[in-house]
Amino acid sequence: MSFQLHMQCHKQPDVVERILRVIRHRGFTLNSMSMAPSNCGEKIELSMSVSSLRPAHLLTTQVEKLHDVVALRCLDTASNHAAISY
Amino acid sequence: MNGAEAIVQTLVHHGVDTVFGYPGGTIMPVYDALLDSPIEHLLCRHEQGAGFSAIGYARSSHRTGVCIATSGPGATNLITALADAMMDSVPIVAITGQVPTNAIGTDAFQEIDILGLSMACTKHSFLVTEPDMLCQTLHQAFTLANSGRPGPVLVDIPKDIQQAPASWHPPLDLVTNGFTPDKAAYENLHKAQELMLSASRPIAYIGGGVNMAHATDELRHFLQVTGLPSVCTLKGLGTVNPDNEGYLGMLGMHGNRAANTAVQGCDLLIVVGARFDDRVTGKLDTFAPDAKVIHIDIDPAEVHKRRAANVVFHQPMQWVMKELSSALPVNEWLCHCQRLKAEHQWQYDKPGEDIYAPHLLNQLSRKLPDNAIISCDVGQHQMWVAQHMAFHHTRNHLTSGGLGTMGFGLPAAIGAAIARPGDTVTLVSGDGSFMMNVQELNTIRRRQLPIKIILLDNQKLGMVRQWQELFYEGRYSETDLSDNPDFITLANAFGIGGRTITHRDEVTSALDEMLSVNGPWLLHIRIDAMENVWPLVPPGASNHEMLEKRS
Repeated sequence: MSFQLHMQCHKQPDVVERILRVIRHRGFTLNSMSMAPSNCGEKIELSMSVSSLRPAHLLTTQVEKLHDVVALRCLDTASNHAAISY
Repeated sequence: MNGAEAIVQTLVHHGVDTVFGYPGGTIMPVYDALLDSPIEHLLCRHEQGAGFSAIGYARSSHRTGVCIATSGPGATNLITALADAMMDSVPIVAITGQVPTNAIGTDAFQEIDILGLSMACTKHSFLVTEPDMLCQTLHQAFTLANSGRPGPVLVDIPKDIQQAPASWHPPLDLVTNGFTPDKAAYENLHKAQELMLSASRPIAYIGGGVNMAHATDELRHFLQVTGLPSVCTLKGLGTVNPDNEGYLGMLGMHGNRAANTAVQGCDLLIVVGARFDDRVTGKLDTFAPDAKVIHIDIDPAEVHKRRAANVVFHQPMQWVMKELSSALPVNEWLCHCQRLKAEHQWQYDKPGEDIYAPHLLNQLSRKLPDNAIISCDVGQHQMWVAQHMAFHHTRNHLTSGGLGTMGFGLPAAIGAAIARPGDTVTLVSGDGSFMMNVQELNTIRRRQLPIKIILLDNQKLGMVRQWQELFYEGRYSETDLSDNPDFITLANAFGIGGRTITHRDEVTSALDEMLSVNGPWLLHIRIDAMENVWPLVPPGASNHEMLEKRS
């Protein structure tokens, strides 16, 4: 299964590293990623495509716990419907 | 005021009375500031010891443990303790010195990227790069360590930030702890109550999260009102009063057969502050196969992770327990569980003259007051403690549950002795684990802490040897510890008295002697090298497939 993750994060130097670590450790593969500043440079918007045999919520609940992740939305790539959203 | 003084002032603000640590180059300004502060610093003999002492302090007292180390090796030596705290949800604030800001990234002496290293073993970690952010970052660290599911937070502070002018201020953001249940919460309550009323074989499966949520009283009231039978995880031991008539003991790999049998046969699991750990469930898809699940846990990531739940609560556990406390028609099922409990009582009538560790631990448990603290290491003795000792509160049982860290017990006992100086602290260790942080005997000497040490010595890495016997065709690889030091001489070298016993008829007098000594004491107990922990659910097996001792 492939999922699209859209996140808003505090602009901290380590936030992307933390998210990527969780994706790897929880058994998901990163396929693509893009990043852009938002909120006058105080936040960043991250979009990622990830895939795994595991259900999306096993990743999203872990990513959501990261201190600098403000909001997360998860879409099923095939249907473009919300798989998990917060 | 400089940064280091602001750090100390912030610790005082958060009620920290003791910190555990080891000084070094980049943390020297903090150590200088500590000299003039009301905070006691306990010098441990290894940073890992400082980390575990902070854990023992936190777990035994429900306060935040604080440990301090220098950069580089000081910081990396904290990592195992941070991982332990992460797995067992213990609120720790670790403060590390870092090389000066302009030296970061230059491979300076004793420089390591501890922020990067700590990502997998902390709730969060900070690198302070501006003096103005120092106080607020530390306030955040204390808030984070204790919020939601507790855990360790690391704050890495470069030396120049510690030396720079700084001003102290209280936390800038107000934290509101109010809780107002919404419509969805009440709907969930209704669903849970329906499940509980329609179940004929419900059981409560209780983990360490209950104590973390300060909900022990509410949980006990819930069990009393509902009449539900209950089982506990390793970390949950002490949550249910051991005298509770429906309490069946620990479940899982080395759990009581009554506990595992009841859980396997139940039709409703009420999971409170637990996470379906693999050591609890055995083969997951055969765990409690007929059960619906009500899962109460503050951490959304633990729900539906290993077992789907029918009803989920993330609300404060105290509120959920109170709202679900209604009498249930479970008398017949409770009687069945009580029969199981009677049928599978532990037996201590092992023939022979050698010392039977389970019986000794049970005897010790009966001699200790209800508020005594037991700290243990990891291995066979850890499981015997869980099986054969009674705990009246989770804070009295210090054990490395999630990470399973050998070397945990001695420094954790030190932290507990500092946190609760009026209570008896006993370390139960094995000859393998004891040697992993044996340097902390000097920390005992430094403070003359009256810690009693039970050292169960089988001259083996017992649990690994047991698995080699059972699952590796008796091919014993590197589990022989017959070259152990003379433990009494070793203790004496640290100013600690002790005695060795080898026969069963020495046990009572040796335990009495140990408990009557005012200071620290080592009771060295030689036990059978081939003794195993029973019962045992073999790896990959279901919990109803427990192995018993071979005749």
